[in-house]
Amino acid sequence: MVSATESDAARLRRPQAIVGVVGCGVTGFRVVAHLLRAGIRVAVHDPAATASGDGSRVVVPRGAVAVDVVDDLLVADMVVLCTPSPHAPMVSRCIRAGVPVVSIGDDLADVRAMLDLDRAAVAGGVRAVVGAGMAPGLSGLLAAYLSTQLDMVDELHIAVHGTAGPACARQHHDALGSRSIGWHDGQWVELPGGSGRELVWFPEPIAAHDCYRAAIADPVLLRRSFPSVERLSARVSATRRDRLTARLPMLTPPHASGDLGAVRAEARGARADGARHDVIAGAAGATADLAAAVCAAVTMALLDAGDSLAPGVHSPSDDSMRPLDLLARTVALGVRLQEFTGVARSTSW
Amino acid sequence: MRLLRRAMVALSLAGAIAGLLRIRGKGGVPPQEGGWRELSVPPRAGESTASP
Repeated sequence: MVSATESDAARLRRPQAIVGVVGCGVTGFRVVAHLLRAGIRVAVHDPAATASGDGSRVVVPRGAVAVDVVDDLLVADMVVLCTPSPHAPMVSRCIRAGVPVVSIGDDLADVRAMLDLDRAAVAGGVRAVVGAGMAPGLSGLLAAYLSTQLDMVDELHIAVHGTAGPACARQHHDALGSRSIGWHDGQWVELPGGSGRELVWFPEPIAAHDCYRAAIADPVLLRRSFPSVERLSARVSATRRDRLTARLPMLTPPHASGDLGAVRAEARGARADGARHDVIAGAAGATADLAAAVCAAVTMALLDAGDSLAPGVHSPSDDSMRPLDLLARTVALGVRLQEFTGVARSTSW
Repeated sequence: MRLLRRAMVALSLAGAIAGLLRIRGKGGVPPQEGGWRELSVPPRAGESTASP
């Protein structure tokens, strides 16, 4: 990744760059707005508007150009995927076309499929970043920050509350009804979604919510970034009704513009004197704002990095992506981070 | 006799439901000490992504 001393020269490349954004929903719209404010030229393709048969109905921020055909974006300097899952087929197309790509996708199977494209990305000399949203995404950046507060990290636990747009809400619903994945003492464990209730205290104003296991991709990406950690888990908040109806179609339509959300990361380990210690950090805000800030920060970092980042599939919390720099970029884009100052109580995680 | 049997069934059901609710997760109460405070991450030298 680009270093601080290279950043001025790197930024000079930005105004020349054209970024193609696929999907201009609640989160995609905000990503486009961030990129435009940074002086980056943006072209947008919205599959939902195209599917409705009226591509002219796609609403994009002023300054962005709407295109009708997604293939038109494959000539851009980078492609950012903000559509509902799956993203793997489009990431594969970008790799074949030699275009760097950023995915905001959080579906577990989809993220695994994208990670499987690593060999193709390396062979094609293409850089791809997956899991560049709120969770995975901001969750991994917080975990990377917390890992610097301990001398040895044994456990990383993520909890998520809230959804961005309607597609995100459907994904959240499906995740609660699917099998979760976690890393436990050296092996992957799969447990039913909706199990493992824990009361999690999120940053204000979200506060305390019951959280449950769900099929979210955080443990898979954290395992890559923190291979020495012995336990990884991720949970999402849910009500009793959410759990009861998780395996059914959504009974109520999701909120059209998303809602307030939060992400919380907890790291457990030891300090230099050997004493056990837990550290907790999080962020709260409009879910789409949190996800969009991370996605835009990753996109700009990838543009700035140019060829200094090795080809392959990366996640924001990987060392290669300089996660602390990404976290600072995310804060610069309006995300307010918080840390817990009390004494964390032990849980069954 | 029938009344006693119904009472026993009701008590058993109530006990089973209460037990189920208890073992379905530990839950708990939010921490009674401490709280959240702003976390400042050092900005990157020479970099500002908030504006062009």
